[in-house]
Amino acid sequence: MTVLRRRVANGAAPRRRGGPVAAEARWAWLFLAPTLLGLAILSAGPILATFGISLTKWDLLTAPQWVGLDNYAALVQDKRFLVALRNTSFYTVVSVPLGMVLALGLALALNQSLRGIAWIRTAYFLPVVTSATAVGLVWAWIYAPSGGILNQLIAIFGLPPQKWTSDPFWAMPAIVMMSVWQGLGTSVIIFLAGLQAIPQEYYDAASVDGAGRWARFRSVTLPLLTPSLFFTGILALISAFQVFDQVYVLARPGKPTEATVTLVYFMYENGFKNFKMGYAAAASWILFLIVAVLTYFYFRSQRRWVHYQ
Amino acid sequence: MRTFRSLRGARLLAALAASAALALAACGGGATPTPAPTAAPTVPPASGEPVATPAGGYTGPEVTITYAIWGDPAELKSQQAVVDSFHAANPKITVDVSVSDWDAYWDKVQTGLAGGAAPDVFAMDGPLFPDYQSRGVLLDLKPYIDRDGYDLTQLADQGVADFTTADGGQYGLPRDLNTVVLYYNKAMFDAAGIAYPDDSWDWAKLVEAGKKLTKDVDGNGTVDQWGFYTETTDMENYWSSLVWQNGGEIMNADNTQTLLGTPEAAGGIQFLQDLIYKEKVMAEPALFAETGDAFEQGKAAMESNGSWLVPTHTAAGFDFGIAPLPKGPAGRYTSVNPTGAVVYQATKAPDASWEFVKYLASPAAQEQLMQLHASIPVSKEVLAGPYPSSFEGAQVLADSLAYAKLKPSFVGYNEFTTLLQGELDVNVFNAPNKTAAAALADIVPQLDAMLAAR
Repeated sequence: MTVLRRRVANGAAPRRRGGPVAAEARWAWLFLAPTLLGLAILSAGPILATFGISLTKWDLLTAPQWVGLDNYAALVQDKRFLVALRNTSFYTVVSVPLGMVLALGLALALNQSLRGIAWIRTAYFLPVVTSATAVGLVWAWIYAPSGGILNQLIAIFGLPPQKWTSDPFWAMPAIVMMSVWQGLGTSVIIFLAGLQAIPQEYYDAASVDGAGRWARFRSVTLPLLTPSLFFTGILALISAFQVFDQVYVLARPGKPTEATVTLVYFMYENGFKNFKMGYAAAASWILFLIVAVLTYFYFRSQRRWVHYQ
Repeated sequence: MRTFRSLRGARLLAALAASAALALAACGGGATPTPAPTAAPTVPPASGEPVATPAGGYTGPEVTITYAIWGDPAELKSQQAVVDSFHAANPKITVDVSVSDWDAYWDKVQTGLAGGAAPDVFAMDGPLFPDYQSRGVLLDLKPYIDRDGYDLTQLADQGVADFTTADGGQYGLPRDLNTVVLYYNKAMFDAAGIAYPDDSWDWAKLVEAGKKLTKDVDGNGTVDQWGFYTETTDMENYWSSLVWQNGGEIMNADNTQTLLGTPEAAGGIQFLQDLIYKEKVMAEPALFAETGDAFEQGKAAMESNGSWLVPTHTAAGFDFGIAPLPKGPAGRYTSVNPTGAVVYQATKAPDASWEFVKYLASPAAQEQLMQLHASIPVSKEVLAGPYPSSFEGAQVLADSLAYAKLKPSFVGYNEFTTLLQGELDVNVFNAPNKTAAAALADIVPQLDAMLAAR
């Protein structure tokens, strides 16, 4: 600052533009530009367009007709939509915590330097990169009412065979099990990275203070892992609300149970089968608002439980 | 130095393997790309009226049109054979065929129509025809029919009727028909000493035979051979025929109301529920929902299902027969569902598309398609001539047209059946929570409301 004032006093022009900081800022904008443009054109644009579509009655083939908020009013009274909301909420509430707890356990187990640990970790990651259709087919076989592995397994314990994906009670839990299994890999990798970022000094200090394994886990590992927990939690929450692939390949509504209608399936059904794209768009905005509100509160809660190093 | 070099080689190998794995992972997570139809016609956009050409020949410029159908990859081969013969007869027209599975097909067609790039000719399911025609995306073929003097009576009447509109427009030609019949496993019937089903059978006889054919073959306490099997998730496979056989109807004449609330209609659906839970000659739908057709797997002695299953049953290898559906209290009825070929309204090659649609319904192409045994031909000439003797049971299929009623077809069909089957599947077929009459009493007001709100 003083340099600048001295220069002005000498009559030389002060350098406001073109300095090294400004140049860096320009480069930053340049590198950010593709992503920002993409977000604006390919994400923000369609999101706003979807809102516009949700205010119309549109069957994809003829011109849209303006109906205002009628779609939203009809949705709130639509039994199938409420069932879809219930199923999706159940799916989220069960699969997110379950997935995170299992992934944490697995990550702790895999956080060792055994020989070949890399191969073991890869094996646990394979379900993530396997196509949803292949996974669905294998699990359909596992869940088959007669001759499926799961029924054979529970028969050993004397339990009667269940209909699993055809049973209105077990259909959603069955899908939860399959997608938790498939999604473990991603969370495990993130937790592993988080675990390996915890400095060994903390563990040493804790052992010196006489902390046992569980105390070390509760007081050192968990708090320092909270950023990873936060990250996987939000990813899992958002994607759980959008569940579609697993439902489509494993237990599509109508084949033969209706218990697996989820929000995105409801949108797909109305947009592409019932010629009600406006209605589907309204449903998608309600989904967006639900997820946005939950995300907002989730981020607000960061302050309370996430410890960044 | 030597250690360094070998380490570098190992690292290079690892890097290559990693990038290969990444590439494979990218393929593994993505959806299978469906073939994108690329129509590059050189014909200038056509006006509303067909170009005056002498009947029975295409005299336009060279053009390529796209033809989309649903089916399995095996059907692609047979459709390709038809396309090749068409090309031989009309060298100026090239046809690109694309096949998708049922769900992907309709997504593709709808997005193509919405985007203005639909296939020129595509297959149309009877019940879904009104939804597409009412939205103005199909080309009216009446002007072409009149221009060429095409005789519609040479095709099966119900097939033509399904694509005719109230104002006399003809928006497609039927390509094939499917009816519902009774398949039976000859070995199982022989083992039980029962005479094969014939046209004297009625509901009581079906139940009687079914009971004798439902048994625990290996003696482990659970039934492993069922007397009867059908699919309950669509009306076509059996229950629509049952409603008609009991004297009921599904829709009223102008498709503005459903007539499923009548005792006759309920009686038909009740018969199917009873087969599962009262007479116990049919397994609960859940049992075979994942594993598929019980009859094909040799787990059921009889099946009510469509004529499209003949090739797959034949491929399963056992000796089966085809009989008419047993008659009900109000007579003998079955369901007929035409598949048609329709033309995109804004196609750039309407004349070429019309020639192809005509060819698909011609005796030549119909005889070729007949070789598949997959559906009933629409050409009356082929139906009367070579078809009934083309395979064992074809006569039964040909005769079934005489007592067949068209599968209901109206705007909003998908939404209607989702609502209806949602109730029937959950409360009537998958579990006997309600009687058919009670379930229908609950759902019929909602169905009528849905129909009124269209």
